[in-house]
Amino acid sequence: MTTLDARNGRRLTARGEKTRARIVAAAADLINVQGVGATTLDDVILASGVSKSQLYHHFAGKDALVRAVVDHVGERIIQRERDALGHVSTIQGLRRWRDALVQNNALRHGAYGCALGSLASEVSDQDDAARRAASQLFIEWQELLAGVLHRLQDGGALPPEASIDQLATGLMGALQGGYMLAQTARDVTPMATSIDMALAHIESLHKHEVGQRQRPAVEQVQ
Amino acid sequence: MRTYFTEVLARERACLAEVTDRTMLADWRRGVVKELMTPQSPYVLALRQTGSVRDRADFLDGWRGLISGTVDRLLQSGATGGTLCSSAQSPNSDVDAQKIAVLILAALHGGSTLSRLARDPRPLNDALDLALAWADQDNSLAKTGTSSSTSKIV
Repeated sequence: MTTLDARNGRRLTARGEKTRARIVAAAADLINVQGVGATTLDDVILASGVSKSQLYHHFAGKDALVRAVVDHVGERIIQRERDALGHVSTIQGLRRWRDALVQNNALRHGAYGCALGSLASEVSDQDDAARRAASQLFIEWQELLAGVLHRLQDGGALPPEASIDQLATGLMGALQGGYMLAQTARDVTPMATSIDMALAHIESLHKHEVGQRQRPAVEQVQ
Repeated sequence: MRTYFTEVLARERACLAEVTDRTMLADWRRGVVKELMTPQSPYVLALRQTGSVRDRADFLDGWRGLISGTVDRLLQSGATGGTLCSSAQSPNSDVDAQKIAVLILAALHGGSTLSRLARDPRPLNDALDLALAWADQDNSLAKTGTSSSTSKIV
């Protein structure tokens, strides 16, 4: 059985596909821990247990491998976020999503940050194809957040005028910045604070609107 | 690396010290966004996840402290309106200022990463809209729903 390699259009045997996946998984782990810059192809060969010729059979060089890692990490994160956010329609649900992210990051004292965010900030000045791929993945992630905010809006928990896409991007900025602060502090507290404050603002939009609606009613009674 | 940290902190100390109302906060924001959207700006170089973690942690702590001092001053003086300012008179205003400062710093850090990735200043502006909404008297994020930010607190 053969499958088509999306990158170079070559057909891969099941064994070839397995080897390729092993290389990408090993490279993703190394890059997550030590960054793109500090990861060499020799490190990847050692960590994946493949030969140099096998690696070069699948990847023309480091840039091609890093692009495959961006796809691999992005796919994993988008799947995780789709599972976590796909049916959330309340602020409480968003808080549970926040709890899970903070908890997962706390297991490692926040040292590695967001796998996709760290990768993205490293490739954004180095390889335009990888930058565009990472940018597209963030758009997908933000769309999942926007989906939640739309459901909140439909349920009346956000005012109809609230700009959902802007809020989703703002929340993503707070999340990614939170990961980065936690990574530097080796402590997840700033990440938790950052997301909490962003969610508090989103929640306050509802309260603010309710307050606005109630005010004239009070005046009428008086 | 250290020189970027020192330079940014010195400039931020000077800029944030001048902020006493919403207009000046908006000026500060404009200046920082401009720096963060300029490749090779000391601001961009200082926020890279490279170099000594301890030096970067000290730099971020210093910047957060400066932002927190400014936010606290604005909350205490009542120079801003908005949702969180109701607590300005409470003993929690210092706590609020510190938490707001964490969100602002996260927005600068995460927003500029997303903006560099997208080659577009909008993600950074959206992140700052959210982080600075407390200073926005009319809470216009809720009211307008228009695209990016420049007409809001900036």
